[in-house]
Amino acid sequence: MNDGEIAIDGSLGNTEPFDSKNERVLNPHAQRCLQQLLRVWLGFERDLSTVPLLRRIDLGTYTIDDHLCLLRNLRQQVIEGSRWITRTASSFDRNHAEIRSTIISHAVDEHRDYELLEKDYVASGGDLNDILGMERNVGSEALHGFLMHRSSRSNPVDLLGAMWIIEGLGEKMARSWAERIQELTGLGEDSTRFMTYHGHNDGDHMERFYDMLDEVCVDELTVRSIIKTSRVVARLYRLQLEEVEHELE
Amino acid sequence: MTVYITSTGAFLPGPPISVGEVEGILGAVHGKPSSLRVQIQKANKIETRHYAIDGNQKTTHSNTEMASNAAEQCLDRAFLTRDKIGMLAVASTQGDLPAPGMASMVQAELGLPAIEILTTHGICSSSMMALKAAWNSLRLGDHEAAVVVSSELSSRLLKKQRYEAATESTYASKRIDFNTEFLRWMLSDGAGALLLQDKPAPKGISFRIDWIHGFSHAHALPTCMSVGSAGLPDDERTWQDYDTYGEAEKAGALLLRQEVRLLDNIVRMGVDGYLRLVEDGISVPSEINHFLCHYSSHHFRDKILDLLDAAGVGIPEERWWTNLYTRGNTGAASLFIMIDEFLRTEDVTISDGDTILCFVPESGRFNTTYMQLTAVSS
Repeated sequence: MNDGEIAIDGSLGNTEPFDSKNERVLNPHAQRCLQQLLRVWLGFERDLSTVPLLRRIDLGTYTIDDHLCLLRNLRQQVIEGSRWITRTASSFDRNHAEIRSTIISHAVDEHRDYELLEKDYVASGGDLNDILGMERNVGSEALHGFLMHRSSRSNPVDLLGAMWIIEGLGEKMARSWAERIQELTGLGEDSTRFMTYHGHNDGDHMERFYDMLDEVCVDELTVRSIIKTSRVVARLYRLQLEEVEHELE
Repeated sequence: MTVYITSTGAFLPGPPISVGEVEGILGAVHGKPSSLRVQIQKANKIETRHYAIDGNQKTTHSNTEMASNAAEQCLDRAFLTRDKIGMLAVASTQGDLPAPGMASMVQAELGLPAIEILTTHGICSSSMMALKAAWNSLRLGDHEAAVVVSSELSSRLLKKQRYEAATESTYASKRIDFNTEFLRWMLSDGAGALLLQDKPAPKGISFRIDWIHGFSHAHALPTCMSVGSAGLPDDERTWQDYDTYGEAEKAGALLLRQEVRLLDNIVRMGVDGYLRLVEDGISVPSEINHFLCHYSSHHFRDKILDLLDAAGVGIPEERWWTNLYTRGNTGAASLFIMIDEFLRTEDVTISDGDTILCFVPESGRFNTTYMQLTAVSS
């Protein structure tokens, strides 16, 4: 997107990730939960602007090296993402068959997304061995540890809070990062395929998310557990992004 | 102490200027029509606005005069003698003089003797800052009446000569500099005034101020609307750091800029703030009869609506009221100009006990402010 070509009357940076166009009616607990989730999301999204590497996207000083660094660090999160999500599915008992099916199909959609990231890395001028050899950063360790722990508990409905944050970020990458990164770095579309693809896919995932929320979020205790987990994941995800510039030896 | 808005006034300079006449007033830079004007005006959907400069870009009214005219009208309509006024609070993005504060100048113009004054400096939300301080002064019992005025004369920043003089700026070097030109087709001039008293007016409708809250996110988000820097990521100088003001002007450090890419944050933070108020039980969406929302452009109206709906705190569109489309986006003055006309318009019936939510977001560095009023009829 060039300065002169901002489609101001159509969309300015696209629409919000949480589309309200279809009149969805949620049960009162799910509705309250969604309201609080939105608050957690807005705070998370705002605070991403304080992460130095991401602030450079805002300020227009993001470089190819920044991009390579980001991709290197995202890969581990994406690999681990497919692990906790499948573990979450297996932790639901037969009384939660519906949500289990949804999560399994979600996992199938995404479990090899990291391969896309590797291709983006090479297309951005990176050496494949560098991204393959990258270990989890300090924040990824914390995030992964937390998610594996929660997903190992029986019927871990609170992980809807984790999905909310992670899916929302996927949408945001597509909506406000991918094109901007290409513009700032001069890299081609093949440098941000993971971001773009992941974002498009996440639109459907949001639909399924609302259905799941309506199904399982039926009391105050569940609301609280979902919100708590969303807060923890938001904080740990930001930690992971803050840690990208502290690469381990 | 309960505080009421008991009178209002507004001043819009000159005749209403239509979409097609705008460039004739602000002037075509180097004689060439702007390639962005139509696109930006289509998006904001503002039909008419007012300017305190004429077609030769000469100032017709100072900011002080506009503020005073609005205050005069407000006081002429009031059931109160002027000697009861203990405080004058004035908000503007930029007064006529960088110093002293604009309230001094407006006080002089109004001839109000030995009162307490306050000038608030900011952009759109400076009006709410002034209002909150005056409200608190009355609540504490310091005064029984205060006048709050907000006034904007942005056309002086937007006239063609400013852009022509910025010979070494991004505006001069880029084929199209959207960020620098954006606000040129958005903002216009005007002033609004409110009278606050510790009792309702003896006749007609007064508005009780129930609460005023603000949330600023400057700690996390970058600057989005500003004057004073050249708009280059690596250049940290501000206008007074240049050897001469002439150099600052050449570099484009005196041009008004909007980082258009960051603007969506204002919608998000606006909704975030409202969710905070709902969560704390301060505002109940279903109890709001009228919503006066200062949005800078029609473009943002739907975005706010959608996000509020998504959060389940939507306010039905028929309860929204604005005069943006006919009075223009007058920045800090917008809300007061809106309240003044809202009280008088025949489009809306205001009943005793009606709840009015006012929302003024500021994109400068993301400050969002909210106020609830209750209509009280005597």
